[in-house]
Amino acid sequence: MGWAFACAPPLAILGFVFLWPVGVSLVASLSRDGHWTLANYERVWRLYARDVLYTVGVAAAGSALTFAAVIPLCGWLRARAFGPVEFLLKVPLFVPFVVVGHALRVVWSPYVPGFAASWLGIAVALAWKHLGLAALLLLGAFRGVDESYLEAARQLGSGTGRVTRDILVPMAAPALAVSAVLIFSSMLASFSIPLMLGRGSGAQMLMIDVYYRFGQHGDFETASALGVVSYVLAMGAALVYVRRITR
Amino acid sequence: MSDGLPARRGLGGLTARIAALALAACVIVGPLLSLVVWSLAERWTYPAAWPQRLGFRYWSRMLTADFLDPLKTGLGIAAVVTMAALLCAVPLGYALARLRFPGRTLVLLAFLLPQAFPQLPVFAAATREFYRWGLAGTITGVVLVHLVGGLVFAVWTMAAVFRAMDPALEEAAHNLGASATRAFATVALPLAVPGIVASALLVFLYSLDEFTGTLLVGAPFVTTLPVYMYTASQGYELQIASVTALVLMAPGAILLLLLERVLRAEYLTFFGQI
Repeated sequence: MGWAFACAPPLAILGFVFLWPVGVSLVASLSRDGHWTLANYERVWRLYARDVLYTVGVAAAGSALTFAAVIPLCGWLRARAFGPVEFLLKVPLFVPFVVVGHALRVVWSPYVPGFAASWLGIAVALAWKHLGLAALLLLGAFRGVDESYLEAARQLGSGTGRVTRDILVPMAAPALAVSAVLIFSSMLASFSIPLMLGRGSGAQMLMIDVYYRFGQHGDFETASALGVVSYVLAMGAALVYVRRITR
Repeated sequence: MSDGLPARRGLGGLTARIAALALAACVIVGPLLSLVVWSLAERWTYPAAWPQRLGFRYWSRMLTADFLDPLKTGLGIAAVVTMAALLCAVPLGYALARLRFPGRTLVLLAFLLPQAFPQLPVFAAATREFYRWGLAGTITGVVLVHLVGGLVFAVWTMAAVFRAMDPALEEAAHNLGASATRAFATVALPLAVPGIVASALLVFLYSLDEFTGTLLVGAPFVTTLPVYMYTASQGYELQIASVTALVLMAPGAILLLLLERVLRAEYLTFFGQI
């Protein structure tokens, strides 16, 4: 029975502060003034359809940037371990999200004002923060590929670029797919980085919309419907985690 | 692990290394260095490429209550969160690693959900519920919201620590007549101390840097450094925000430099979530 005592307090906290609010937001998204209704989703569709597309686009661009930088670098590091570069790649892991947002705002502001809050500015900042995680996952996967395959390709005259493209990437495809899903979902749900980068004109990231809908308009129901849309969009990450446990 | 082909070891290899290092340094260190420049820029107006006046005026503001109060609040919250999370996570991590009980998979799943769900809408709902219970805008409320993330880190690292430990040691204690509790307390627990320390550092750092939950639940009365930094940057006090950003980075930087060898890859992936 010891396990029951061990599980009870942390589960109670998790239930109270996380699971219960998830339920509350699901119910609120489907109701208004005590009645069941789809009006909140209708409002999301009317006011925020463009922002949903924008968010998916920025997250896709951010993920693409991350992997475009990390795949060649990790392929190169797989061929020759080079401590200093590997160390630098890990640095973003230790920099908090808010700090990343602020740093990538002020680095551009004296030279390209307004860039930080543009879609590309957000994508670049998100990619910067996720470099560390992507490098860690990918380098692990690349180092798991058996040396004999690489040796054979090198004997046939392939350079690092071809070895990466034709052997490392295909053989590490499952790990690559998992890290892509996790990074894309994290970017979709990003809040502090776009908030710190500032509000540009035009479309906004989804979490910024949720924050202002809840905080400034006091419209918890529509904010919850937006939230539920984000739960659905980030479902890929949930599935990855479920598979990891049940396997 | 050196390259197989001798031709690549020479000058070409060296150039490639220097080029890769320069590129990585530019991309990674560049934005962080701009924080340093901004924190020292007493006057920097567009379109000047470099600050017109440099100095330590904004750093000296660190000594005022504006800055010290959020720092103290944040440190206090992080200390409470770390203790509470580990008190919960050590027994639970042990149970998850060693025992097979009904609902074990569900418990594991419950402690992964906060990673998989977008946090902001959930914390917005939590804030509304906290208003009804009088927890919004209180330290207790912020501690509770930090505990969600803190527990996820602590439970998973502690489960990994106990799983990596050879069960034969505890079985030997059993065979010598020790009860399950005694075997845990006298054999497993002392062996887990390095893991507990690593886990505690992770949770402490997470709590210190946590922004989203603190902004929502803590407003308007509880201000920690990340929230202070956000407020400063909203008021276009970019220098104050940059000083705060550098201070916020310090614990993570120390951990990265000191513990790179100690921290295992699975702990490192958790840092990506901060």
